[in-house]
Amino acid sequence: MIPAEFNYARVSTLDEALTLLAQNEDAKILAGGHSLIPAMKFRLIQPPLLVDIGRIKDLSYIREEGGQIRVGAMTTHYQIEASDLLKEICPLLPECAGSIGDMQVRNKGTIGGSLAHSDPAGDWPAAILALNAELVAVSKNGERTIKAEDFFVDLLTTALEPGEILREIRINKPNGRTGHAYMKMHHPASGFAVVGIAANLSFNGNNKCKAANIGVTGVAAKAYRATGVESALTGVNLDDASIGAAAAHATDGADANGDLFASADYRRHLAEVYTKRAIAAAMKSVPSA
Amino acid sequence: MIPPADAGGTDYSMKITGTQEIKAPRERIYAALTDPLILQRCIPGCESLEETIPHNYIATMKAGIGPVKGIFKGSVHLEDMQPPEHYRMIVDGKGGPGFVKGVGNFKLEEKVGATVVNYEGELQVGGVIASVGQRMIEAAAKMLAAQFFKGLEAEIKSPPDPLQR
Repeated sequence: MIPAEFNYARVSTLDEALTLLAQNEDAKILAGGHSLIPAMKFRLIQPPLLVDIGRIKDLSYIREEGGQIRVGAMTTHYQIEASDLLKEICPLLPECAGSIGDMQVRNKGTIGGSLAHSDPAGDWPAAILALNAELVAVSKNGERTIKAEDFFVDLLTTALEPGEILREIRINKPNGRTGHAYMKMHHPASGFAVVGIAANLSFNGNNKCKAANIGVTGVAAKAYRATGVESALTGVNLDDASIGAAAAHATDGADANGDLFASADYRRHLAEVYTKRAIAAAMKSVPSA
Repeated sequence: MIPPADAGGTDYSMKITGTQEIKAPRERIYAALTDPLILQRCIPGCESLEETIPHNYIATMKAGIGPVKGIFKGSVHLEDMQPPEHYRMIVDGKGGPGFVKGVGNFKLEEKVGATVVNYEGELQVGGVIASVGQRMIEAAAKMLAAQFFKGLEAEIKSPPDPLQR
């Protein structure tokens, strides 16, 4: 439980961090450290250099700007969970944040760190996909935005290039009659999502679904959008039967993985059940007109 | 088929099966799959692969899944070779994060204009990687297999290198 030797640099500006990353492609960014440090203690990750970005000002914020919600990469899970602004305009984010790990993890872990690590059972990827977020990455060459659906590439692998830092998460402010929910089966020991489903639905009148975005985590090597469920919901009056029929597509095209806790078949089953629950809960969360 | 596990109770064994279709004649693929030079270029992170006696190799592999990297050293042995349709591969490797042992059967089937490679095997993983990274092993194995076949496909598409032989 003692990490291999490493160098440590604490930077005070993003530019300093980018310079160090450009000089050392094996360097790792230290955000909240709640995935990285345990992996280093087991020596599964042995970076020669840690670049601590915890003291950079203005990477931790939640604000509304130009019809968008902007969340700084170093914002902790707890800050999101407790944000009155988000509870009002984008309740899926606080709901998802509140389901992560335990209080200690939520107090230190960050949304940017979690997304950049891209754990296959992490909670944020499901919510970020369901909200069609854009991720802003910065490097020595400037800034670019990456769509959430392009961001998760494979197991622990994102679209971030070496030398890039995730700076901000942008989400279009939900408008009209929308409902959200995040439903997950907690792993009893780790709190990770055995399966986690984020639903973001918008409605016309009554219960007719105008658009549906469903993010799935925990099932495959990376989080994904359940497009089969989305198209089965779109334009449909939602009731038990139509929700059940749509949820049956929760793992279409996904390569489910098994482990000692849950086999691939069990995960596929859970994904269907939790998709039903997430859609039903999202419907209930729609404010009555 | 698999030798008993080392002491410790954290080993994890799993079945791996898959199929991969490659647009090339069966003989060509069989030759590529059993050619150390080609294998070295296709195995993800393979730093060296030396043939000690026919169909026995010693390999060094720097396997990496995202930030998790480990150097594995081990032996690969091919047996039950029935060109161009079948062979069995036995792998035994050790590295910083743990050990890997496995047996896999490869079957090559002819299809119009293509060959289907069917593989099924059992992989046993132990050590830190098994106790801590257990929930990701299956995904990692699939990811490495996909990278291997992508490399193999590229290798088969490219014209043969005249300097190689």
